[in-house]
Amino acid sequence: MDHQSESTEITFHHAPGGDDTVKRIIRTTILLSVITIIELALGFVIYFMHKGENPSHTLILFIKGVIVILSLAKAFYIVSIFMHLGDEIKNLIMTIVVPLALFIWFITAFIWEGSSWLNLRNTDGHSKPNIEKHQAAPEGKKPGGVE
Amino acid sequence: MATAQAQLETKWWSGGKSPFNVEYGKLMMWYFLMSDTFTFGAFLISYGTIRFSQNFWPDPNHVFNAFPFAGHANLPLAFVSLMTFILIISSVTMVLAVHAGHHMDRKGVIKWMIWTILGGFAFLACQAWEWTHLITGEHAVMIDGQIKEIGTTVSMNPWGPAIKGVMHDGHQVYSTGPVAFGGYFFGITGFHGFHVFSGVVINIVMLIMTVNGVFDRKGHYQMIEKAGLYWHFVDLVWVFVFLCFYLI
Amino acid sequence: MSESSLHGHGHEGVVSSHTHEAHDVHHHHHHEESFISKYVFSQDHKMIAKQFLITGMIWAVIGGLFSVLFRLQLGYPDMSFPILEDIFGKWAAGGRISNDFYYALVTMHGTILVFFVLTAGLSGTFANLLIPLQIGARDMASPMLNMLSYWFFFLASIIMFSSLFIQTGPASGGWTIYPPLSALGQATDGSKLGMDFWLVSMAMFIVSSLLGGLNYISTILNMRTKGMSMTRMPLTIWAIFFTAVLGVLSFPVLLSGAILLLFDRNLGTSFYLSEIVVKGEILPNEGGSPILFQHLFWFLGHPEVYIILMPALGMVSEVMSVNSRKPIFGYLAMVGSLFAICILAFLVWAHHMFVTGLNPFLGAFFVLLTLLIAVPSAIKVFNWLTTLWRGNLRFTPAMLFAIGFVSLFISGGLTGIFLGNSTLDLHLHDTYFVVAHFHIVMGVASFFGMFAGVYHWFPKMYGRYLNNNLAYIHFWVTMIGAYLIFWPMHYSGLAGMPRRYTDYSNWHSFNQFAGMSRFISSVAMVVFAVQLLFLFNFFYSIWKGRKVTSTNPWGANTLEWTTPVNPGHGNWPGEIPEVHRWAYDYGKDGREYISQIEPVGANESKH
Repeated sequence: MDHQSESTEITFHHAPGGDDTVKRIIRTTILLSVITIIELALGFVIYFMHKGENPSHTLILFIKGVIVILSLAKAFYIVSIFMHLGDEIKNLIMTIVVPLALFIWFITAFIWEGSSWLNLRNTDGHSKPNIEKHQAAPEGKKPGGVE
Repeated sequence: MATAQAQLETKWWSGGKSPFNVEYGKLMMWYFLMSDTFTFGAFLISYGTIRFSQNFWPDPNHVFNAFPFAGHANLPLAFVSLMTFILIISSVTMVLAVHAGHHMDRKGVIKWMIWTILGGFAFLACQAWEWTHLITGEHAVMIDGQIKEIGTTVSMNPWGPAIKGVMHDGHQVYSTGPVAFGGYFFGITGFHGFHVFSGVVINIVMLIMTVNGVFDRKGHYQMIEKAGLYWHFVDLVWVFVFLCFYLI
Repeated sequence: MSESSLHGHGHEGVVSSHTHEAHDVHHHHHHEESFISKYVFSQDHKMIAKQFLITGMIWAVIGGLFSVLFRLQLGYPDMSFPILEDIFGKWAAGGRISNDFYYALVTMHGTILVFFVLTAGLSGTFANLLIPLQIGARDMASPMLNMLSYWFFFLASIIMFSSLFIQTGPASGGWTIYPPLSALGQATDGSKLGMDFWLVSMAMFIVSSLLGGLNYISTILNMRTKGMSMTRMPLTIWAIFFTAVLGVLSFPVLLSGAILLLFDRNLGTSFYLSEIVVKGEILPNEGGSPILFQHLFWFLGHPEVYIILMPALGMVSEVMSVNSRKPIFGYLAMVGSLFAICILAFLVWAHHMFVTGLNPFLGAFFVLLTLLIAVPSAIKVFNWLTTLWRGNLRFTPAMLFAIGFVSLFISGGLTGIFLGNSTLDLHLHDTYFVVAHFHIVMGVASFFGMFAGVYHWFPKMYGRYLNNNLAYIHFWVTMIGAYLIFWPMHYSGLAGMPRRYTDYSNWHSFNQFAGMSRFISSVAMVVFAVQLLFLFNFFYSIWKGRKVTSTNPWGANTLEWTTPVNPGHGNWPGEIPEVHRWAYDYGKDGREYISQIEPVGANESKH
């Protein structure tokens, strides 16, 4: 369903960007590349730490956190510059960014669950990967028993 | 700034106009991408959940260390960096195509679209190579007291913890790792690859329409803009796939 | 009124006119519509609404019939019914539904009613019908995608329907299709091909709902006529808007979950499977978690119940205000509570999983968030009651169903507070208490909203009235019947009687409920018969009903009643009217109602 450019939906047109737009694109490209290279460098740091004796897990976790933040920065630049969301009016930006807040609880609750399964796996005898005990009495578990 | 003035003076929500100053097609594309964000988000979050529930997870530097034509050289993350740069560059050429479209520059659009499509194909080719390498690459693994050579598939994972002191043909022998690794890796990169593929198809359609002068007749290149949004989204997802599978 | 007069106007090129030029250009193709383009591949939102409604009705009959048949088994476990064998063949050998097939019937009943009837049939119908008419638009933003939305739904329907006829039977893992049961074909017949059909059908359904939802959202935001600010929109549109937001953001999560389940079933992955023994065979799958699927499922599943309920909330508000001849009480509070419900819907999914192995500490947070839903729900109930208070009530069939809705919403909602507490849920989970709760608050209540909508807007859809006497019979029997069916279930549920069994007769604790169960089954049959009466009324009235003579038969303010009795494609023959006031100026300044298109007078009092 195409429509004409004279659609009444549009109140004003953005003036098409000139050379400075191209400059901005190139600047963003360089920025994204630099961030990626930093991320890779940090990846290597983790690699060599793993190779060494007794790697500090806190430090590795910290480096991973830095990498996550750098990736979020990359995402910000892609959305804001390449997808031109930064050039849109505030209403549109808000309707797209605000619902993403739902991810906070989505991620928290799921990861929390994952860690608690790990806890069960390591402490609860029933959850340990110990299939042999079933071999003795296969009828102990009903087919597809979990409802 | 006339635009800023217009922004301030307009009653955006009063009806009779778009409150976002965009036509509905672009709005739908944005909301579709949000919806797709939740699809990928759900995949990556379930991957994270399963990973958090495991005692051991393979080190990506160890798994992804091969490069085409480089034999057995240990080049951690080299190939995936190449893939990442290919995708970033094709995203840049797409922005330039959209930019050319704003200026009604048909030749510019055609040129940059061709580059974007080539970038897409290059990425898909890289992914095909990487998958092949993982599936067919055999690694010595101790299963039930016997040493077997297996590749990485959705139901087999040779990347478990190393078994100290056990060697096979001069290679370290490992125990099996969590099978969810292969499932999520192939599942999510496959789903992303499917998006790249459909993005390439969309871009080819756009290229054909541009060559035929459809957008010149319409008087605007908004379709290119929408295709561009989709393509950048593919790039955006890769940022997170790259993060979750290769970096951390 | 005809198509040609539409094109006579509309195009004057006046910049200030707020017609959507694009659509007018489009409409030129519709001068001579063939049967195919008018009734089958129609792009007119009103026709698509009717397609959704009638497809939904067909599904409702199938899904409802299933429930009657398995109620027969539940009510009379010791009798055999040859008719069951005639219908189901080997699945009901000897006239008794086999245990496996009972699961299949329950699964299909749930799937059909939840997705195909109360999602597609309800919000598909009324979003399509009402959005353009009530916000003042010629059609949906993209009529093409709107048409595709219906046809993807149709495709999903075909796939689901054909799964009823495959040799191993349809999916039978419950409408929630929890793995590992649903992931392992060797576990039961209902997890074989039928489950693949279920998943593929659901994927098509998600595409349909996505296309529809994107269209509803962008139409509501972008296509409002001049003067129709967000706070002048009728509550129906607000409700549909939030419904669409819920669908667009939560259905993709089910899609992800379903794709992973398909992989587990067919590609040997272990997302949801770990350490399983089926019929003595040890499966190699290791490391997954069935609870992961439940999280993914309920991330959609919980918003889904609001996707079902919210359009009803909106329509009830509208119908109630029109027929009380009073402004809706607390319009902004109504919008705010819809918004709050929409947000909370995304945050509470795990309250369906308190006893499935969820981390109990995490569960505590879900209890808190769940109980918060009581606040916006209570706001809505009080606002409806205060809207009724001292109103000039007109007991049209639509109004009766709206009032009935409020009654059901209260009684079903209160039991939700019981179930939302994880400690109480330990006892009540998987009992008939849960069955009673969600059937009343989500099933019957949403149906009441749907009936209110159908009775209220039937004149707009077909230019005729439904028969009132049949409608009153329909209302009273359904209302009383619904309570007679579901109220007793609370008692057996509190006594601990579990769901999902065909025969309780050997179970001493629950023997005492045999008579009650028989009673429930008998009432269910009567209520089902009355729904058939409604269908007769519906189809009879399409052709033979009393004709509507005035454009505004209910004396309502909203824009759909400013269109001709049988609006063509494009809705308004001339320009789209401009809106000057909110939708609820009833009984103001001594006037019964003031249409939204009437400019505000100089001496008018404020509302």
